[in-house]
Amino acid sequence: MVTLKVNGKEISVADGTLILDAAKEAGFVIPTFCYQAELSSLGSCRMCIIEIGGQKKLQPACITPVLQDMEISTETEQVEDARASMLEFLLSNHALDCPVCDKAGECELQDMVHKHGPRKGRFAEMRETFHVKDYPLSPVIVKNSNRCVQCMRCVRVCKEVVGRGVLGTIGRGAHQEETSFLKGELDCDHCGMCIEVCPVGCFMRRPYRYKSRPWDLNSTKTVCQYCATGCITKIEERDGEVIRSIASKDTEGFNGRMLCSRGRFGHDFLNNEERLTTPLLRVNGTLEPVSWDKALDVIKDKLKKSQPDRVGAVASARLTNEELYMLQKVMREGVGSSNVDASSRWSAGDSEAFIAATAIDGAGLSIDNCMEADTIFVVGSHISDENPVTDYMVRYLSASRRKTVMVASVRPMKLDRSAQITARHMPGRLGAFLAGVTLKLYEENKTKLSGVKGVKSLDGLSIDKLSKASGVAPGDIEAIAKKLSSSQSVSIMAGTDMIRLGDGTGGLCLLSDILKTLDKRVFVLPLLDRSNQRGAWDMGAHPNFGPGYSELKGDTGLDCGAMLEKASKGEMDLLYVIGDDILAMYPDRAFAEGAIEKVGFLVVQDIFLSDTGKVADLVLPGASFVEKTGTVTNQEGRVQPIKPLRKPLGKAREDLNIIADIGSMISKNGSFTGDITAETVMEDIKKDVPMYGDVECDEQGCRGFLIGGVARRSLKCISVGEEDTTELKENKKYPYYLVTGNHLFGSGTLTGSSSMLRKLIKEPTIEMCIEEAKSSGLTDGDMVTVESDGGNGKYRLQTRKKSSSKVVFIAENFNEGSVNRLYKIGERVPRVSVNKGA
Amino acid sequence: MVDIIKTVITRVLFLDFIKGLLVTLKYTLSRSITLKYPDHETWIPYERFRGEHKLHRNEDGRELCVACELCVAACPTDCITVVPMEDETGRRGINDRVAKVWEVNLVRCLYCGYCEDACPTTAVRLSRGFELACTDLDGTIREREALLTESPIPEHYEGGVVVKAKYIRKLIQIKPELWKQKDWWPAKPGRSKKR
Repeated sequence: MVTLKVNGKEISVADGTLILDAAKEAGFVIPTFCYQAELSSLGSCRMCIIEIGGQKKLQPACITPVLQDMEISTETEQVEDARASMLEFLLSNHALDCPVCDKAGECELQDMVHKHGPRKGRFAEMRETFHVKDYPLSPVIVKNSNRCVQCMRCVRVCKEVVGRGVLGTIGRGAHQEETSFLKGELDCDHCGMCIEVCPVGCFMRRPYRYKSRPWDLNSTKTVCQYCATGCITKIEERDGEVIRSIASKDTEGFNGRMLCSRGRFGHDFLNNEERLTTPLLRVNGTLEPVSWDKALDVIKDKLKKSQPDRVGAVASARLTNEELYMLQKVMREGVGSSNVDASSRWSAGDSEAFIAATAIDGAGLSIDNCMEADTIFVVGSHISDENPVTDYMVRYLSASRRKTVMVASVRPMKLDRSAQITARHMPGRLGAFLAGVTLKLYEENKTKLSGVKGVKSLDGLSIDKLSKASGVAPGDIEAIAKKLSSSQSVSIMAGTDMIRLGDGTGGLCLLSDILKTLDKRVFVLPLLDRSNQRGAWDMGAHPNFGPGYSELKGDTGLDCGAMLEKASKGEMDLLYVIGDDILAMYPDRAFAEGAIEKVGFLVVQDIFLSDTGKVADLVLPGASFVEKTGTVTNQEGRVQPIKPLRKPLGKAREDLNIIADIGSMISKNGSFTGDITAETVMEDIKKDVPMYGDVECDEQGCRGFLIGGVARRSLKCISVGEEDTTELKENKKYPYYLVTGNHLFGSGTLTGSSSMLRKLIKEPTIEMCIEEAKSSGLTDGDMVTVESDGGNGKYRLQTRKKSSSKVVFIAENFNEGSVNRLYKIGERVPRVSVNKGA
Repeated sequence: MVDIIKTVITRVLFLDFIKGLLVTLKYTLSRSITLKYPDHETWIPYERFRGEHKLHRNEDGRELCVACELCVAACPTDCITVVPMEDETGRRGINDRVAKVWEVNLVRCLYCGYCEDACPTTAVRLSRGFELACTDLDGTIREREALLTESPIPEHYEGGVVVKAKYIRKLIQIKPELWKQKDWWPAKPGRSKKR
């Protein structure tokens, strides 16, 4: 600890703290331009200069660490003069076109000049003019270099946080221009981080350009819905049109200013004119508008006529905790059936194994805590595309804290470049790879580890065999095991591929048990791709357990797959689908289409008319996340509030009210009547789910962190299975393995309805290894036909470097050319052939 | 005695009455100060007068307004609405910033001229139009197209005069003929005409 005085106030801070942070702790804010907490220090703008007792010259606070007994003055006349002169220099080359600049009103330079600045400039020289016209850097980013203050934040954020490094500088000194290579259009993540960190208006959002002024906007602080990272974002609208989403320093989320392309540019789906605004009932084969009373009457009628076990509900994991809790309560207590599932993409067994392996039924764990570990091991996730902001956090925190990152995945990704060890395994063979790592650790410490449960399943396996099965070189497996055994603490981030492909959960369980037995601190963080997936499971929207992972009183229910199977036999009387698109998501489209057709009465509640909605008997218009109140739980176990910006469109209603209305119609004891709001339901949740005991509610909404130690049900961790460790067989007719997942620019119906994201990804694409493509006579941009046992589809080819051969990737959520048509039920990794021509 | 004679003469000859009549006669014969408004004459206010808003163009005919919304921010009564947009034919930047909507509610407006002061491009200026009466509330909102039409009184025309005008009954409009001035307030010796 170091003791120092800031403006006469004595404080103690840790060694190596920057003067800037020490002053902040003492309550004095030092103005900065080039300083950004997440980024490396540069010290170029000299805005933060302060006076240190005993030193004649002023020193920059953002790169100078504190020393014992330092006396720092941040508000003397000399400092104020220096600040004013720095601003005078900056303004001497600034375009000063505030009236047309989009940043005006929230511009850091404006604020700074207003506060510290010279009232008059003395420079009469010509200003530097880099160009006359603004130029586009991407479909979503526009550049104007004339306003640049050379703080290099954009260049640094692109390299250090986003990991793309596509921005650089041309020229030196005042002639320096931060831009892309040859000022051309970028092929980057289009995340817009450069826009967000720019203190002036050099980078502008194309969709927000010349639309409004920041002070005109109505905003609500809410949670981004595109993945389970749960970034806090401010959605802003003007005159009913959602105009931008922003994470700035005053949104105060754990994500800081970070958002990805989906989170920053994808929210224009809210303005889409195809939103549902009225209930639709199928009359003589066509969907016709009806009143709510009529719609609810029809449901009541149908529910009365059906047996409880022939009724099912499939909800999207994007609904709020309150809605999911209500839904499972209505299903279990009202209807008397446990047929409730929160995903159509994977089976209940696989998700249960994943919950057990990643200890989702325990306490929450923040990414920041995870990054305290010596080694971060990312498995089963294409994190850079599925959870971009988690990827940013892993990148910059591992760099600034000097941690080791290891990645094991099927496909190459951006995080590979920040990783010390990368392993590419075959799809569906993560289990074999993890078994290999576990085996290596086991062999080294046999005596200590022989007592670990499940370690017996490793008997009879050898590194060579597992290396062949997983496709990872034995050297890589050994290197990873060596790194793990030399670390004091390990964080394992496990992604949704483990549920999607149903592999690796056993290996992960065993690996974390073994590491714990070796006296290491082990953190396991699930990486999920739906905003409230964790909350959905906490709420008991799962056929096998109730709220808080409690044992069910009656029998377990059916998951989505089992419900469809039952439906295909004509034994489902009513299926209630909320926000999910079974036809587009269930991994076997042909089967799902056949099954859905045979459902007695299909009710779909959504904000768009999805594929499933088009064949429904009754469509109910729900509310989007800016039109309702509630909470969502992110992958870390952080409960965060979502708050309404406006009322639901037209006759649409909040989903919670619709579910409660249906409940009150069928409930015998009247438990769903009365005043049901998000707050009252949250009270019930806190009683029913002990993990939510720490959640606090006030006018700002409910928030808190999940607490552990009170989960009522410890799910079984399965051990390494046989099917995980066998080698994949070659297939002459269909030589490629198809994997799927979220695309960086698309993760479902919502992104598909966003016109901005549709500009970034225009048509369904297939990604393939560049060498493989060359040898098959294919080139980047070709139209190819992909064929499997299940079906075929046409896709645009994109070649990727460093991809495993024989593996092709198609994102799971293209509206047209949906990938599930290539799947067949029970087939986790379909084999496909890729041929040129449409 | 003399007083009595004076009184008698005054009363017999109705001298006081004639005095009064002379004043009447003088005004009857002198120039009328009543304006024949609106049919034949109209008053042109002084240059400093703040009346109806007008949006202006530059010499090339391009709108000066860049839709910066500073007038909206400066307005004490919130009577101005501006929505910017990109002009596809742009010359500055990729596209120009222009106003998609520029409207002012003339009933809410208190004609303080803050918008004029705030405007960085001097696009909005208060003209000398004061004939704002209308028969329904829709007429109190002036939109961009109407505001961009030129005012019948040029900006640098020295006001404070009465001019001949034609009242066009069909359009309910007065057309001043600025060159036919009439000195409504004739200068008296010792009083400066200069304003």
